[in-house]
Amino acid sequence: MLKLNNIEVTYLNVIRVLHGVSLDVEDGAIVALLGANGAGKSTTLKAISGLLHVEEGEVTDGSIEWNGARIDRKSAEEIGKLGIIQALEGRRVFEHLTTEENLLVGAFNRSDRSGVKPDLEMVYNYFPRLKELRRNTAGYLSGGEQQMLVIGRAMMATPKLMMLDEPSLGLAPLLVEEIYDIIRRFNTEHKTSVLLVEQNVRIALSIADYGYVMENGRVVLDGTTDFLSNNEDVKEFYMGLSAMGTKKSYREVKHYKRRKRWL
Amino acid sequence: MAELLQYLISGLAVGMIYALIALGFVVVWKSSSVANLALGQLVLFSAWFTYGMLVQANFPLWLAFPLVILFSLALGWVIERLALRPLIAQPILSLITITLGVAYFIEGVVTLIWPKSVAALPRFFPTQPIRIGPAVVSQEYVWVAGISLIVFVLLTLFFRYHRMGIAMRATADDQLAVQACGIPVTRIFSRSWMFACLVAAIGGILVSSIGGITYGLVETGLKAFSVVILGGLDSFIGAIIAGPIIGLCENLGGGYLTPIIGWAGVKDIIPFIIIIIVMIIKPYGLFGEVRIERI
Repeated sequence: MLKLNNIEVTYLNVIRVLHGVSLDVEDGAIVALLGANGAGKSTTLKAISGLLHVEEGEVTDGSIEWNGARIDRKSAEEIGKLGIIQALEGRRVFEHLTTEENLLVGAFNRSDRSGVKPDLEMVYNYFPRLKELRRNTAGYLSGGEQQMLVIGRAMMATPKLMMLDEPSLGLAPLLVEEIYDIIRRFNTEHKTSVLLVEQNVRIALSIADYGYVMENGRVVLDGTTDFLSNNEDVKEFYMGLSAMGTKKSYREVKHYKRRKRWL
Repeated sequence: MAELLQYLISGLAVGMIYALIALGFVVVWKSSSVANLALGQLVLFSAWFTYGMLVQANFPLWLAFPLVILFSLALGWVIERLALRPLIAQPILSLITITLGVAYFIEGVVTLIWPKSVAALPRFFPTQPIRIGPAVVSQEYVWVAGISLIVFVLLTLFFRYHRMGIAMRATADDQLAVQACGIPVTRIFSRSWMFACLVAAIGGILVSSIGGITYGLVETGLKAFSVVILGGLDSFIGAIIAGPIIGLCENLGGGYLTPIIGWAGVKDIIPFIIIIIVMIIKPYGLFGEVRIERI
């Protein structure tokens, strides 16, 4: 289980981007981290996966615990070995490698080399499209295929916690649903916890068990999926629904803005 | 006719060595996008080290060679650890400049330990000439070309199928994403430098077994640059094809132009003329990876 205790993250020793974020990811749960651009969602993920130091960022306060042991001082590879794997935002495939080579890179750190082949089949099973493209250069795959590849690469590491940064970014709605279906299937079949960063609140809440809403480097609201999907503020500000639960009509837009309750 | 064949064969053999040394550039470039400017000096250093083991310490071949290999791997490890690692995440230009610093440092160390400027290695290969058609060629050239080719094939297989090789290529594409997969990039950089030093050492031994050890070995490194620029900075196939091309141009040009122009130096400038032409026509080189852009 992952536990973030009131962490603060500072870039370049001066720019504080997270001001005390706490969150829990129970074993086997899907947790969504929601919020607008610049809320600190990706930074939170990088703090967990140890990628902060690459960008001269640092966890300056609070603690990150994985199954009770602190990991916020550990390097990215140590954290990766513990089974925490992050799929970065923006479909970062290894462009000049083939699809299959991309997947093999995901399995680099595994100690059981014999398990790699079956897992390759497992990933192809989740994403049949990738099997057809296994010999193709990854840089020439379509956006959706690249996103599948990035998620598949994370699966190859047999993670205990998979962190996905905006898997829906720039994809067609149908494809987004397909990918989310697969994430949910992977979660139930392998008991892998998933920490999901999303701007597409509706789709994220459709598969998550629990959600956190972030704004300006703070968690402003958290709760079960039911609670969040019925919360007036979340509906109004993140789902574009009015209080009635219907689509917002811009004809009847009020000339004052609804105040967020959490501010 | 005999003359032509002779030029062709020696050109091919020398070209293969250039290709091999060029791999030392390609490996580092592929994994970390750092231009390894110390190639020539690495060749020089390992040639002298071989001399030290074989001649000065008088070790037998079976002991000397493994020692040279170990030494080159250790050298690569040390270079990465002490010179390049502290500069990770700094601008790439600083990293390239540090390799230049390493180059001069090595040159200094070499003159310090082996102040004499020329030496000869014992001959490892049978020297009696063989006849290929009308030409009489020293057998050494054939051996050298063969060994280069074998090392070459091994390395290519490594990069295509071994997980470390694949990871090295992945690192060249996207360092951050590699780290997100939990792969220690520092280890990858370190391995790539060890490889660079290894091929430089093998190349150094081969070259100096034919031509002896001189400061001209540093130039071999420069020739290897023209190979990678012609073949493409990040392409193994490019290196194996461009190496012999450079070697042939050099030998044929040297052989036939020198009597006409009356200046022996013409041989050495031919590779660089080729570089300039290639840069104008094909900036990525013959086989270089063209940046993938999807629109």
